[in-house]
Amino acid sequence: MATIRFESVGKRYPNGFAALENLSLEIADKEFVVLLGPSGCGKSTTLNLIAGLEDVTAGALWFDRTLMNVVPAHKRDVAMVFQSYALYPHKSVYENIAFGLRMRGFARAEIARRVREAARMLEIEPLLERRPHQLSGGQRQRVALGRALVRQPAAFLMDEPLSNLDAALRIAMRAEIKKLHQTMRTTFVYVTHDQAEALTLADRIVVMREGVIQQIGTPEEIYDRPKNTFVASFLGNPPINYLEGTLAGDGARFVRGGVSLALPKPLQGQGGRPVKLGIRAEDVDPKATHQVISGRVSSVLPVGSDQYLGVEVEGATLFFRVGRELRAREGENIALSVNTSRVQLFDSSSGASLLWT
Amino acid sequence: MTRSSGIGRSIFLFLSSTVFLIYLLAPVAWLVSSSLQRDAEITSRPPHWIPHEPTLENFAAIFQAREKKVTYETRRQGDPATGGYIPSTARNLIPSMWNSLVVAVSVVLLNLLVAVPAAYAMAKIRFIGRSTSIYFMLTTRVIPDIALVVPFFLFIRTFGLLDTLGSLVITYLAITVPFSIFILVSYFESLPDELDKAARVDGCSRLQTLARVYVPLAAPALVAVVLFTFLTSWNEFLLALMFTQTGKSQTMPIVVASFASDFTISFAFINAAGVLAVVPPVLMAVIFERYIVSGLTAGAVKG
Repeated sequence: MATIRFESVGKRYPNGFAALENLSLEIADKEFVVLLGPSGCGKSTTLNLIAGLEDVTAGALWFDRTLMNVVPAHKRDVAMVFQSYALYPHKSVYENIAFGLRMRGFARAEIARRVREAARMLEIEPLLERRPHQLSGGQRQRVALGRALVRQPAAFLMDEPLSNLDAALRIAMRAEIKKLHQTMRTTFVYVTHDQAEALTLADRIVVMREGVIQQIGTPEEIYDRPKNTFVASFLGNPPINYLEGTLAGDGARFVRGGVSLALPKPLQGQGGRPVKLGIRAEDVDPKATHQVISGRVSSVLPVGSDQYLGVEVEGATLFFRVGRELRAREGENIALSVNTSRVQLFDSSSGASLLWT
Repeated sequence: MTRSSGIGRSIFLFLSSTVFLIYLLAPVAWLVSSSLQRDAEITSRPPHWIPHEPTLENFAAIFQAREKKVTYETRRQGDPATGGYIPSTARNLIPSMWNSLVVAVSVVLLNLLVAVPAAYAMAKIRFIGRSTSIYFMLTTRVIPDIALVVPFFLFIRTFGLLDTLGSLVITYLAITVPFSIFILVSYFESLPDELDKAARVDGCSRLQTLARVYVPLAAPALVAVVLFTFLTSWNEFLLALMFTQTGKSQTMPIVVASFASDFTISFAFINAAGVLAVVPPVLMAVIFERYIVSGLTAGAVKG
């Protein structure tokens, strides 16, 4: 129903703080876009701009062909779910869900029909007469979702909706939100700092840092072809490992002390350039014997299904995820084969990727 | 050991709260009791806490005094209740109560009208000079009223409002609005910002957000504001003394005080007037009783 387009949008607060700078982004109709970044990166501000809760101070924001810069929040056809749920404490669950429809002048019968339908979809029918303070966190979350979806808005905005839930519930709700997107067939913009949520839910991920977009892409693109060290570090658990070194062999190999690894694509004529090599925690194989790095095991951290190994390689401590059948003990030396088709390479000073531009 | 100290503690608490209660209630009890006595009995020693000859004549005198013009010559005529004396301003008492009520209710309503939107804006809308305006408003209340009396007087005279109820409403607003806003700002700030955002996304304009979400949630703070402004206006003396001159605009505290500076003091008459003066605040307290405790701690806990 709506394409959301940012054209060089900026947001500067009266105190001079620039929350967003020169943001250009197009969110397609029915797309699920996740804004990902650490706190203070401008992702919530971006969401508030879409909702009209804050004013755009530079550039233009479009919904389809309508300029939205000066349209107030209550005249925009968007719904929003908040981290704290923001249910109206003085209203019953029914009234909470119905409120948006009432404000838009829907007929009483239509409101009742839609509220019942939303309640059935979210399995909160028995709770309709309760007050928010009588509900559990997960139930409140459902009511907040119900309040948004009952309006059948052009865009569905979610600001860290799962952050206040416990871990098990969070994963269950993640699946429900994904299902919701498929049934509602409307544009979703979802803000989170949780990379796992982003990777699970998104059609496209927008990684942001200090008000600037770092990379836009599908989850696979973002994970496999990060454009800089910030994006590479933000996704992956445990995070990606870095080794500082230089290019050798006319740019075909990475060298640091005794470590020498082939690169997925050679950087011709750049031998001797200082670079940063990125190896994801899971991209090692203790059994294979080619492209090996070796070092002393400094820590063994079992995590149930796998174990994390801290390995000291040429003065740097790297963390790898390996199967739990590997018997490793602290202080032992270990050799691990690196999947060099998946390593990343970054400029050592700017942090920009040398493989993907 | 612990048991006996627990009992000791209970006894101590019981005794001290009894003493405190007596301290609070004794003046009120004496006011009520003496309003039912004649002057002669009031001045008897030891005082009679329970009237030996209870009488409603003082109250009758107040209501009859309304029609009487009392002069030096006529002040002794036919009023047995007051021991023969009634103050020359007695006929102003009932109209002055009405004046007080009109002023207090107007001040309460205008306070809400001004303070509620102002407090919402200061608590929830970011604008340049937001915190400055809050501090500026509060600093105006650091100035004692007595320092403002002359400027107020000149202002009121220039606008030709001397001896009108309007002069009181305007000046009482100047005194009470900053406090009302302060109480409400801190309460609104304690309500989460996301409620404001949720309401606006749900289709409320700013004003609707205020009316449909914040006002219902702020009931305890609103009650605190209503009580505070009503009592301040009802009790105010200094400014009323300056700006009012005749029964047309005099409020109850002024008229009651004038009884004591008349030809002769009639204790019975003053006490009966005092009882009448206490009635409206007590009624307010009874009506809003269930909100008062939460209102006094407004802002301390989340809604």
